[in-house]
Amino acid sequence: MDSAAVGLEKAIEAIKIGVSDPERDQLHRELDQFLGWLEPALEVDTGDLEGLVFSHEAINVLREDTPRQSDLAELQEAAPNFTGGFYLVPKIME
Amino acid sequence: MKYEVVIGLEVHVELLTGCKLFCACPNRFVPEPNVNTCPVCLGFPGILPQMSREALQQALTAAVALNCKVALYSYFDRKNYFYPDMPKGYQISQYHIPLGSSGYLEIEDDRGVLKKVGIGRVHMEEDAGKLLHETAGASGGSSMVDYNRAGVPLIEIVSEPDLRSSLEARRYLEKLKSIMQYAGVSDCKMEEGSLRCDANVSLRNPGEEIFGIKTELKNMNSFRAVEKSLDHEIKRQAGILDSGEKVATQTLRWDEDRQETIVMRGKLEADDYRCFADPELAPIQLAETEVEKARHNLPEMAGERAKRFVEEYGLPEYDAGVLTASRCLADYFESCLEFFNKPKEVSNWVMGEFSAHLNNAGLEADQASFVPEDMAELLQMIDNQEISGKIAKEVLEKAFQGGKKPRRVVEEEGLLQISDQSELESIVDRIISENPDTVESYRGGKSKALGHLVGQVMKETRGKANPQLVNELLVKKIDSQ
Amino acid sequence: MELRKTTVHRVAEAVLEGEITAHQLIDKTLKNCSVLNEGLNIFNAVAGVDATEQARAIDEKIKQGGELPLAGIPITVKDDLCYGVLPTSFGSSAFSEFISPVTAAVVESLMEAGAVVIGKTNLDDMGQGSTTLTSPGGATANPWQAERTAGSAGAAAVATGICMLAVESDSGGALRQGASHCGVAGLRPTTGRVSRHGLNAHCSSFARVGITAFSCENISGVLDIISGFDERDAATAVCRKGIPEIIKTPGSEDITIGYPVTAFDFLQPELREVFEQARDDFAGLGYKIKNIDLGLLREGLQAYYIIALAEASSNHARFDGIRFGKTGEADNLENMYFQSRAEILGKEARRRSIFGTFLLSKGNYGRYYRQALKIWELIRQEFAGVLKECDLLMLPTAKNLPRQLKGEVSFLDEWSDDFFCAPVSLSGMPALTIPAGQVNRIPVGMQLVGPPFSEKTLLAVGSTSGPRDTGTL
Ligand SMILES: [Zn+2]
Repeated sequence: MDSAAVGLEKAIEAIKIGVSDPERDQLHRELDQFLGWLEPALEVDTGDLEGLVFSHEAINVLREDTPRQSDLAELQEAAPNFTGGFYLVPKIME
Repeated sequence: MKYEVVIGLEVHVELLTGCKLFCACPNRFVPEPNVNTCPVCLGFPGILPQMSREALQQALTAAVALNCKVALYSYFDRKNYFYPDMPKGYQISQYHIPLGSSGYLEIEDDRGVLKKVGIGRVHMEEDAGKLLHETAGASGGSSMVDYNRAGVPLIEIVSEPDLRSSLEARRYLEKLKSIMQYAGVSDCKMEEGSLRCDANVSLRNPGEEIFGIKTELKNMNSFRAVEKSLDHEIKRQAGILDSGEKVATQTLRWDEDRQETIVMRGKLEADDYRCFADPELAPIQLAETEVEKARHNLPEMAGERAKRFVEEYGLPEYDAGVLTASRCLADYFESCLEFFNKPKEVSNWVMGEFSAHLNNAGLEADQASFVPEDMAELLQMIDNQEISGKIAKEVLEKAFQGGKKPRRVVEEEGLLQISDQSELESIVDRIISENPDTVESYRGGKSKALGHLVGQVMKETRGKANPQLVNELLVKKIDSQ
Repeated sequence: MELRKTTVHRVAEAVLEGEITAHQLIDKTLKNCSVLNEGLNIFNAVAGVDATEQARAIDEKIKQGGELPLAGIPITVKDDLCYGVLPTSFGSSAFSEFISPVTAAVVESLMEAGAVVIGKTNLDDMGQGSTTLTSPGGATANPWQAERTAGSAGAAAVATGICMLAVESDSGGALRQGASHCGVAGLRPTTGRVSRHGLNAHCSSFARVGITAFSCENISGVLDIISGFDERDAATAVCRKGIPEIIKTPGSEDITIGYPVTAFDFLQPELREVFEQARDDFAGLGYKIKNIDLGLLREGLQAYYIIALAEASSNHARFDGIRFGKTGEADNLENMYFQSRAEILGKEARRRSIFGTFLLSKGNYGRYYRQALKIWELIRQEFAGVLKECDLLMLPTAKNLPRQLKGEVSFLDEWSDDFFCAPVSLSGMPALTIPAGQVNRIPVGMQLVGPPFSEKTLLAVGSTSGPRDTGTL
């Protein structure tokens, strides 16, 4: 496997998305195309320019420390598995 | 030990804010699960985080209390990984630019020499929820997630690898706890999880520049456990090196029951968190003057307070040191003085009996049901000669454990001191007549004999007699015979 | 009352004056809706009873003397924006019945002003795309030519007269290209002008909430209502002390429109002609045209995709099947993650999250992600520089005519449709798309891009240019 292919496998593992074998093969091909497509961007001479980090110029947007309780029933109804006050997941072996 | 020990500690401390870091959910422990949750801390789609001003203020206080350089510009990153206790699939944390860096705190090393331990970084981040694994019950073969703690503000304090023994590590933690408590930013209760500690340990030959291969220790639930697990791990690594083998890079978990470290399974550290700036939050910008103000406004720390205790209350340096080692205890001491203003007596009782009971119960001073008013009430009864010191110890124990007021214990148990002369006289007369030999030796000049007689009277009254009065009565009666 | 031929202001006035009740208006709108939606696939959910109730409540408020500048105005809401009454799918079949605990700030503001939500509109897989071709429920057809995509279902709703205003999101150009393809106007506001509370952004850095309407005038009528500081979206703090508007009035002030000559070389000749004509028409209206240079459009598009995919991988990590959505049947945690996430995220969303993870990974981070942040800065500087030489600039909106519903198109070709929109997203500047003309009876739009907070100038200039000859539906 070339390095992009290894990277793709790692990415799928890290982001935990199930993909079928045909989809995986397709993603391999598409990733190569995508990385080729990005080449011009890599060739831009950016020197030691500082990259932009935020799209907005807001700073120190801070909330006052006043606690508030939320409507829980509404939130918990959305959960696929909520029982006895807990969100349930398959048993984790520690 | 033929190797040099190298230890670095990563400590997480929960801040004492009213709300969570990015939402208005209350930041306080409740027994019911998933009560302190909202769309933000449950990671609902479309809801943006809102940064807490108070958390920033407390983190800044912590950073300056640890003598850190403060970043005037910083922001939050996302540390991306999956675990059910992480609602968003990432933890919001300051990765690229920590709020504080290049700090230190001072401890005594193994030889008692003052030593600076470097603090690499102090940064803000959000806590994760909690997982429970139960086999039985409604959940069947499931693990259960409680998000009450998810989003609680933490600061992570990372020491430089400057610690050279498990004892230094423990002293570092004690000092750190004291500083955080005095700074008023955390209660640092390790047993409750408001202070958590991971350790990196490696060994190397003395004089070597590069570090040896390190292991990471987790799951230590008390300062004692930190010290013991480090000792255990140091011995284990030394054994490996002695046999010419290499230490494996591992994460180990301290097993309190088995008193040993075991290799962690389950939640493994990801090797790549793909950190990038959280675009949903605004960066933090501090003015130099704000940082200076935070330094200037730092609350009194343990050392200064001890000095003040000596000057203001005339306490011996030893007392002042013991009382101020924990902010809780020092606060307790000073609260007692508000109701009973005899510092040395209060100090004796707080340092002695009270602390002993705290240790036995594994409590901090502010968790005891025996509040400063109770202590004052007890000491006032001694002062009024209503009870003796000996009885007082008994009362304290009962009040401490039963949660009763000391006066009520005294009344219920009939422990009031007998200061009624006529009641005591008959007992004194009886003791004199029953112990002619002892009376003789007292007359013969052996003053110790008098003590024995007093003891007899005290025994007879189950300790309730006023010893001074007994003394006076005995002398008067024997002399007049 | 045909909604396409009137203005928001006139309709609201008619409701306030009692010429027609909000209830009657909405009733009629809902009836039209099913007819006009025929074959287009605009809606994920239609409000029905709820819209009628909203309208009744508005009539009641009017009786009590309520000031409702949008009284009875029917609006649609793109389905990546939460609305607590109807399901919000986010573009995932796993969320087709999900009721959000919140309502998006913009929707709240519009409703407070009297607008009535009549439905949630279709969108791409997890809101990722500018075509609706990747929607789990199938694409929305273009009202002008049903074998092509509308680009945005909200724009189709406006174009057909189903609603007067569509609340839309725009990261790489979905709002703008939809409006362009459907021959209507759409505004992507300046960073921080409009709260994004309640928007499930796949890319937080570039996602904005904007408005699509039949005319610039209609957008002007709601801009103030949706603008301003909202403590629930940190970016809006730039408006905390008021909105720093830049307003120039066409006619009474000289206005220079920048024309990036080389940008138009990327277009097919028949499209290029439309813009040359539009430029000449602007000149005819008295605007000064100045040739300018934008050199980094292609690289801007690429940088956009690097950042957008990276952020999507993280933004969509919350879809784990534990607290909302659907969960996969699995006996262990790992399988639960893989199955749930594969079920919630469609093919396009899966591709984007996986590629985004790749780009952020060790070894790729510096090469791709950090470089993209630098190009982002270069683009920002380039646009800021150009906008010193002119008051606004014009650009094509879409690179191509709307895609065929049945044609095969590679993912990179589809992404490349954002060629003129994504770099504008990077610049942070506001962009208004208005009809520029048409090719073979298919509408073609152009963007007017101005400095931060120049929306009112853009809308004023935009309204002088129209209505252009876009023919009739
Ligand atoms: Zn919360």
